[in-house]
Amino acid sequence: MRARSFEDLLRHTPPLPPDPHARLRARQAALAEFERVHAQTGEARAPIESGLFAKLLGAFRAGNPARPVTSRHMLLRGIATACVVVVAVSTVWLMPPGQRQFVRPPAPITTISQDRQEGDAKLTSEAAQPLETEGKTEVPNPPATTQPANEHKLRRDSAPRAPRTPTPLPAATGSPPQQAAPEEVVVDAERIHPQNMTSSAPIAAISQDVAPSAAGAPPPPASASTGGELEEVVVTRQSRVRSWIGSLFSHKEKSAPEASAPAPQAPSESGDKFQHFEINPVKRVADEPVSTFSVDVDTASYSFVRRRLNEGVLPQMDAVRVEEMINYFDYAWPTSESADQPFKATVTVSDSPWGEGKKLLHIGIKGYEVQSRERPDVNLVLLLDVSGSMDEPDKLPLAQQSMKLLLDTLKPTDTVAIVVYAGAAGQVLAPTPVADKETIVQALDSLQPGGSTAGAEGIRLAYQLAEKNFRKNGVNRILLATDGDFNVGITNRNQLKGFVEREREKGVYLSVLGFGEDNYRDDMAQTLAQNGNGVAAYIDTLNEARKVLVQESSASLFTIAKDVKLQVEFNPATVAEYRLVGYETRTLNREDFNNDKVDAGDVGSGHAVTAIYEITPVGSNAKLIDDRRYGAADKAAADTSGKAGEYGFLKIRYKLPHGLRSRLMEQPIRVDAGVPAALEKDVKFSTAVAGFGQLLRGSKYTGSLNFGDVMQEARGAVGDDPYGYRAEFLQLVRKAQEARGM
Amino acid sequence: MDDRHLTGLVRRAQSGDVASFGELLDLYYATIYRIAFKWCGHRANAEDIAQQSCIKLAGSLAQFRFQAAFTSWLYQLVISCAQDWQRSQRRHEHDALPENEPPAEAARPEDYIYLAQLLEQLDELGEGMKETALLVHGEGLSHAEAAGILGVSESTISWRVHAMRKHMTKREPLMSGGT
Repeated sequence: MRARSFEDLLRHTPPLPPDPHARLRARQAALAEFERVHAQTGEARAPIESGLFAKLLGAFRAGNPARPVTSRHMLLRGIATACVVVVAVSTVWLMPPGQRQFVRPPAPITTISQDRQEGDAKLTSEAAQPLETEGKTEVPNPPATTQPANEHKLRRDSAPRAPRTPTPLPAATGSPPQQAAPEEVVVDAERIHPQNMTSSAPIAAISQDVAPSAAGAPPPPASASTGGELEEVVVTRQSRVRSWIGSLFSHKEKSAPEASAPAPQAPSESGDKFQHFEINPVKRVADEPVSTFSVDVDTASYSFVRRRLNEGVLPQMDAVRVEEMINYFDYAWPTSESADQPFKATVTVSDSPWGEGKKLLHIGIKGYEVQSRERPDVNLVLLLDVSGSMDEPDKLPLAQQSMKLLLDTLKPTDTVAIVVYAGAAGQVLAPTPVADKETIVQALDSLQPGGSTAGAEGIRLAYQLAEKNFRKNGVNRILLATDGDFNVGITNRNQLKGFVEREREKGVYLSVLGFGEDNYRDDMAQTLAQNGNGVAAYIDTLNEARKVLVQESSASLFTIAKDVKLQVEFNPATVAEYRLVGYETRTLNREDFNNDKVDAGDVGSGHAVTAIYEITPVGSNAKLIDDRRYGAADKAAADTSGKAGEYGFLKIRYKLPHGLRSRLMEQPIRVDAGVPAALEKDVKFSTAVAGFGQLLRGSKYTGSLNFGDVMQEARGAVGDDPYGYRAEFLQLVRKAQEARGM
Repeated sequence: MDDRHLTGLVRRAQSGDVASFGELLDLYYATIYRIAFKWCGHRANAEDIAQQSCIKLAGSLAQFRFQAAFTSWLYQLVISCAQDWQRSQRRHEHDALPENEPPAEAARPEDYIYLAQLLEQLDELGEGMKETALLVHGEGLSHAEAAGILGVSESTISWRVHAMRKHMTKREPLMSGGT
């Protein structure tokens, strides 16, 4: 068997033959539509309305099943009725959302064909709770491009739909619709039986068919039927909007069921979205001696946690990523001297403050600091969300301020362009050298929030500009500032991800700055930034903007090493168990380490990355996992003779910014590594942050540790704190203590 | 079928003759369904798209002005229906491969899995790629014909075909037989 080319596959894979019933159904539906269209010729209706008309016509007729009428007669009556009902529908839509619900019958009625249950079950469950969407005024409208789809859906629903399998509907499915449970099944009021397919008046056939199919259950009263139709129109549209939002921002499919589990600390009214993850478990070295993960230099989690704590509430657990909290702070790990060896790794060993008999392994990486004279040229495109939802002091105005701060860090020859998106995307400023700062500042100041959040070509335009102005050997980066509406023109989530990935291969990278709250889509920001070789940061204050965009500007702009992966192999002779603190969303498979195709995190100029392992040395009685009765304990010992002085072996793989092949760094982790005096405070402080993060996360591995202990530990380790970040951390611990007390 | 007959049929259908429209449907359902299937690689979905296309055909047949070949016009219609359908399905975010379906005689069952994977990859590759692949590779149209149907320039089609091939050869082979 030979491998087939994709062209061949497309060309020579014959379509699976369609179900003959499907063909009949399609024919029937099309003929009905044809008759309807031609009956109305000359009345010049907009297509969407005619679709709606058909539905309402159908409803009207279904309500009078007993009276046989001629097709023409019925049509005239139908049109008259339909006009009235359309007016009613329009009125409903002009009404403020809060008052709209009264047209709803007590239980939502959604038509559902038996064979479509799998797909439509979602629709039904969405329909079962429509008020939630209704009540939310911040719901962005779908972009103009999806509007036809909505219309078309209405149109499609207007066509009679018969079951795919020609089995008659069992009476049992006519369960009382009042049970508004998600698995509610409602009789399809428009069901056509295949045996009636040949009828020359298909619509009349429907109406007569309703009664027998629902014979086992009380037949729906005629008036309710009309109400049901109305309802479906409304519900359909709502669920469209809802599904549009959902699909754009929803968690990855696999995490969805977990995400629906109640998070005890999460304030349910918050609209911020975080990807759910489970904390890393304790692992037994004998079973799984190798631990692999990707570096993470994001800090968004810390800023978000801070914001919630400043508001007096504990953050939702999924918002807490311990590694991002640790990495928020700068640590004085020794750094490398040249760009050729982009960073150095430091390993320290200390006692665990929350686990007696356990040790903490700190692995600290400090990126080489690019000197300003050797800084590459920067081609920066700012992509700003100026939709109405950005009209809050901590959103667009803060973004504008932040961007101005960033300007100060750039060289006069660097260029900045500005693209905005909202109702329409547009270029506000062509690539302009920073030397002409005045112009850039003016352009920034001219931005006004407004318009709907309907997406446009924003992201494409930004990339186009970046490519047009591409600096070879320079930094080409898009900086996206948003409050969470990533409807930047490409609405298909996979397409957007694919788009960002392709642009990354061309050398244009993407970083995401998040602003504001309630609408913040952390999961999406992370995905995009990770796929675009960029950083995701959350900006809640001007101070934070200064930290991210000024003090760390070189780190966020200049990548010194990409796809940085860490792998630790523990020595079973000295370590019984280990646990990686944080990095849950960054774990890699063991084989990914040597696979250069697997993407990983990047380290920027001067970035510090810290990872902490908690280990249980052999012989400690703090072990959580018992030895295996049938394990071969002495086999391991034989291999490790002469290496008893090592806890393990650290390997780091990375690529240089323009490199394609990875390089390897390795060093043993010595049992007697200890903590050098110069690093004592940093180790202590990062340990305190790790403890704090785990407490917020609800970790089960922190023993009796409490916020007071964290405070104590951190207070003694503030050290030199020029910008007051560590002092601020102490405040946060206190606030967490208060929030928990409430 | 001969052009005069088709033209007559379309004209009669345009003037409201149900029987002619029915005949037209009978003649072209297979084509419509084939395009739909090559678009999505899945039988039930293709049936859905085909049904919508037939309904749309009823409404918009009057707009056919005989300026292009009827089939070209039909391609346009089915593709636009398929795009609408895909947008409306987005909430499903399906990673899932199509359920096992009885394969046709000529193809191996795994081909349909490959096809579905391929279509998904093409989708991620960017806008217009799947449409181009469908017309050029799937239906064997020339670049010029595809350009006419999709409303882009011929060079765009050529570029897309080139980009697709480059991308596909760079990837791990989609299907490696012989193991």
